[in-house]
Amino acid sequence: MRPSRRDILRAGISVGLGAALDGLSPLPGLGLAFAEGNAAGPLLVVLHLRGGADGLHLLSPADDPDFVAARQSELRVATTGADAGHRIDHSPDERIDFRLHPQANALFDLYREGHLALIPAAGLAAAIRSHFVAIDMIEHGVADAAALARSDSGWLARYLRGQTKATSALTVAAAGAPSGEYLGWGKALSVPDLGGGFGVPGVPPMAQLLGKVYADAQGAVGAAGRDALAAIKLVDEHLPRDDQGKPIAYQPAQKGAYDLAGDFARPLKVVAQLAKLDVGLSVATVDFGGWDTHENQPGRFRVLVERLSVGLSAFWNDLAPRHDRLTIVVQTEFGRRFRSNRSAGTDHGRGSLMMVLGGKVQGGVCYGSWPGLKAKDLDEGVDLAVATDYRQVVSEVLAAHRGGPVAKDVFPGYAGQARLGLFRDDRLSHG
Amino acid sequence: MAQRWDAAMVAAALGRAGFGGSPDEVTRVASIGWEDWVEEQLRPTDGVDSDCQRRLRQLKLRIKYNAAEKWSGVDEMRPLKTLDQPIESIWPLITKRAEMDGAERRRPRDEVIAATILRACYSRWGLREALVGFWHDHFNVDAYGSEQVAVALPSYDRDVIRAHALGNFRGFLEAVATSAAMLYYLSNHSSRAGAANENYARELFELHTLGRDAYFNDRYDRWRDVPGALRGAPEGYIDQDVYEAARALTGWTVEDGTNIDAQRKLPETGRFVYVESWHDGYQKRVLAREFDAFQPAMADGRKVLDLVAEHPATARFLCTKLCRRFIGGKVGHDTLAAAIETWTRNRARPDQIARVMRVILTSKDFAQGAGAKLRRPLNLAAAFVRGVGLDVAPTEGLANTLAGAGQRLFGWPTPMGLPDDPRMFIGTNAMRQRWALLLGLAENWWGTGVFDATHAMGAPSPHLAVERFLTGLLGRADPTLTASILSGLGMPESVSVGLQGAPDTQKKLARIAAACGMTPAFQAA
Repeated sequence: MRPSRRDILRAGISVGLGAALDGLSPLPGLGLAFAEGNAAGPLLVVLHLRGGADGLHLLSPADDPDFVAARQSELRVATTGADAGHRIDHSPDERIDFRLHPQANALFDLYREGHLALIPAAGLAAAIRSHFVAIDMIEHGVADAAALARSDSGWLARYLRGQTKATSALTVAAAGAPSGEYLGWGKALSVPDLGGGFGVPGVPPMAQLLGKVYADAQGAVGAAGRDALAAIKLVDEHLPRDDQGKPIAYQPAQKGAYDLAGDFARPLKVVAQLAKLDVGLSVATVDFGGWDTHENQPGRFRVLVERLSVGLSAFWNDLAPRHDRLTIVVQTEFGRRFRSNRSAGTDHGRGSLMMVLGGKVQGGVCYGSWPGLKAKDLDEGVDLAVATDYRQVVSEVLAAHRGGPVAKDVFPGYAGQARLGLFRDDRLSHG
Repeated sequence: MAQRWDAAMVAAALGRAGFGGSPDEVTRVASIGWEDWVEEQLRPTDGVDSDCQRRLRQLKLRIKYNAAEKWSGVDEMRPLKTLDQPIESIWPLITKRAEMDGAERRRPRDEVIAATILRACYSRWGLREALVGFWHDHFNVDAYGSEQVAVALPSYDRDVIRAHALGNFRGFLEAVATSAAMLYYLSNHSSRAGAANENYARELFELHTLGRDAYFNDRYDRWRDVPGALRGAPEGYIDQDVYEAARALTGWTVEDGTNIDAQRKLPETGRFVYVESWHDGYQKRVLAREFDAFQPAMADGRKVLDLVAEHPATARFLCTKLCRRFIGGKVGHDTLAAAIETWTRNRARPDQIARVMRVILTSKDFAQGAGAKLRRPLNLAAAFVRGVGLDVAPTEGLANTLAGAGQRLFGWPTPMGLPDDPRMFIGTNAMRQRWALLLGLAENWWGTGVFDATHAMGAPSPHLAVERFLTGLLGRADPTLTASILSGLGMPESVSVGLQGAPDTQKKLARIAAACGMTPAFQAA
C-alpha cells in the first residue's frame, strides 16, 4: 500500500512560468520571481496524449507483412488509395514503408521541413500496461514500481529546483491541480482559460477580505489561498483589456488557425497567450485526452490525429517569432496492442511514438532503433517493444532547453542510453 | 461508549461523514451522541426524508434548444422526469435520436446532476449521499463522453449505486458489470469471442477490486511466479489474468439493437443481456483458478466476480479508500485492520458495507481527524447551504461552477474517477472557483434563489451576523476570525452598530455569509 501517494490524472493543462535571467522582482506571497521583459525566454511544452496513443496507427510500418496480418486494415495506415498515408523519409528501417496517418498533414509538413523529429518504439523501460501506474512513473521520472513508492516529486519539479538562477513555475489546470511532473514544486497556477479574465470573484472588497483571512492561515489551504491570490494578481494584471476594463479575447497570430483542433485548442491557446504576455513563461505541460481507443478506433483516431496535427501546427505558427527557443515534446503512457480486438479497437500495449518539435531540433528524421514486429521481436510476443526510454528523449530536450547537462536527480538512477542527437546546438556544444 | 462532542466537533464530523449539517442538526447530534447518529444513518429510508423529496418533486430545471426540421424549439422550466424511470422507458432517447435535439439525450444526465446537488444540500441521509458520491467515483462512468452513458445514468445512479451503497460488495460488482452505463463506458458491450475487449476487465482488477498495488506487472503471463499462486491464493494479478477475465466476460452486453446474426437482432431497451454466441466458452485461468470449457450462461463472468470480490487485496484496497475518504486525517493501523476484518467477515452479508462504515465512523481516528479533510467542491457548496440555511434550486450555472472548482459531476473522463486528493482542489483556479461558488450561491449569480437572511435574523450588526454565520458553518465563532472578516469587508467591528435602515441589508448579509464560507477554516471539515 502506498496510501500517501497521489493518484492523479488531470483533464486539464499545466503551465509553468519561470525565469532565470537578471532583473528579477520578487512576487509577494508566491515567493516567486519573474523576469521583466523576458517574454522571449526558452519555452518548453510537455504534451501528454492521455490514454495510451496507438503509435503504430499514427506512424505505421504500413507494408510490414506481420503488421498487415495482425490488424484489420482500418487500424493501419494505407499505402495506396484515397486514404493513403504520408510516406516519410529517414524512417528507422528503410526496408519498410513507414507512413504517417493521412490526417497528419501538418505534422508531415513539419517533419519534411526539418522541425519535427519522430521517435518510434519509445516509452517506459518497465512493462506497465496500466494507465495510472504508467502515468505516475512517467511523471515521477522513475523506472520501476519500487522507485515509485519512494518518490515524492515529479521530474519537472526536480529540474526546476536544480536551476541555480532564480527559476519559478506556476501551474495551470482545468481540473484544479498541477500535473504530476510538478509534484514537489508547490508554486503553481491553474487556469482553464483566460477568456473571462482571471480576477478574484466578486466586488473589490472580496479580494481585500481574502487577503486578510488568508494572510496568516496555517496549512496547505492557507498557503494555497495566498498563492492563488498572488498568481491571480500577476496574470490578471497582464491581461489586455478594452476601454471598459473587460479582458480582450485572445487573438492568435493567424485568425482561425486553431479552429479544427477541437478541445485541444483551448489549452494550447492559454499557453500561447501566456507565452506572449510579459510573465516569463518557461515551462508548460498540456494534456490531450481521448486516446484510450479500445473500440471504434478508426473514426475516433482520425479525429484525434487531425486535432493533434492542426493544434500543434497552429501553436507552432502562433509562436513563430520564438521558434529558436521553443521545444515541444509529445509523449503518451504506452502504445497499444499489436493485434486489434473485435471491437475495432486496440488494448493496452508497450512502445509508442514520441515526437519532438522545435527550432533547434534536428527534424525530418526518425531516431532510435526499430525493434521489428516478428513474434520474437515483440514484447512478450504481443506488443511493439520499447527501444528508446522516454527519459533519453526528455533528457536531451532538457539539456537543449537550458543549454547544459541535466542534473542526475532529474531521472534518478537513469544512466542514459546512446545519445540520439535530437538537437543541433546540443550536439554541437555537448556532442 | 457514548461520545459527547461539542458543536465544532459535530460540525466537522458531519462534514466528513456527510455534507455538513444545519445548526439544528448539529445541536441534535451533539445531544443524541455521534454513535446514535451513525446508527440512524446506516438505515436510511426515503419515506422520512420529506423535505428533500418535496424539493425533488418541485424542482424545475431549464431545457432549451432551437427548432429544427423534425422538432420545434423548446425553452421551458421542466420538472425532473427521468429519475424514477426504468431504462427501457428512456432508451428511446438513443434509438429515436434523429427525432429530437441532443439536449433531450443529455437531459437524464442533467437531471441526475441536479438531484445529486439537491440531495447533498437537503437529504437527511447525509452518510448515504456521501457514500453514493464515493461509489460514483469508485465505479466511475463519464456521462459527458457518451450519449448512452448519459441516458443510462438515472438507472445507474438509482439501481446500481444507490441500491448498493450500503450493501454487499459482491452484489454491487455484478450490478455494475451488468449496467448499461458501465458496459458502454468501458466497452464490454462490444467485446466478442476471438479477440476480447480488455477495457473493463483491466479496470475491474486495477480500479474496482484488487487495486494497482496488487498488479504484478513484471510477471505478465508467468502466473506460477505470483506469490501464493501454487496454493491457489495468488497475492495479486498479472496481465494474463486481465486477458482471461476479458474472455470470461464476453457476451455480457446491452439490448441496443445490434445484429446477432443474419436472422436475429437484439431488442432496443438498454437492458442487460447475455449473448451466448458472443461468449468465448473455452477453458480459462484467472487468479490461478482453472475454468472448465463451456460453462452455463454467465458462469465464467460470475466466477471472475466471485474471485475478485473475495480476494484479500480487494478488502485492503476498498477499506483503505473508504478510510481515506471518510477519516480525513491519519488512518492508523488498528482502524484499517478493523475495517478489513469487518469487510472480510461479512462478505456474504447484505449489509457488508454498512458494517464497515460503522467501524470507520466510530473509530478514534475518525474523531481525531476533525478539520483534516479538505472539502470537495460539492461538499463545500452543500455544507454552506446547510450551515447558513439557503434555499437553493440547482441550475446549470451552479453545476458549471462546481466543475470549474474541480468537480464536474459524472464527467470525469478516465475510469479512475475523481481522485481523492486535496491537491486536486486547491490549485489557483480551483481556489478561485471555490470562492466564486460560495459568493455566487449567496448572491444568486446562477438563479439558484435569493438568500434573504433578514427573515431569520432581521438586521443585526455585522459583528453579530458574522458570529451567527460562523457558528452555523463551523459550530463556533472564533473572535480573531470574526475581527479579521469584519476588517476585510471594511465593516464596523462594534457589536452595536446595526444594519438597521440600510436598504441593502439583504445584500450585505449575503456577502457576510459568503465571506464566512470563504475563510480557510471552512475549506476543510
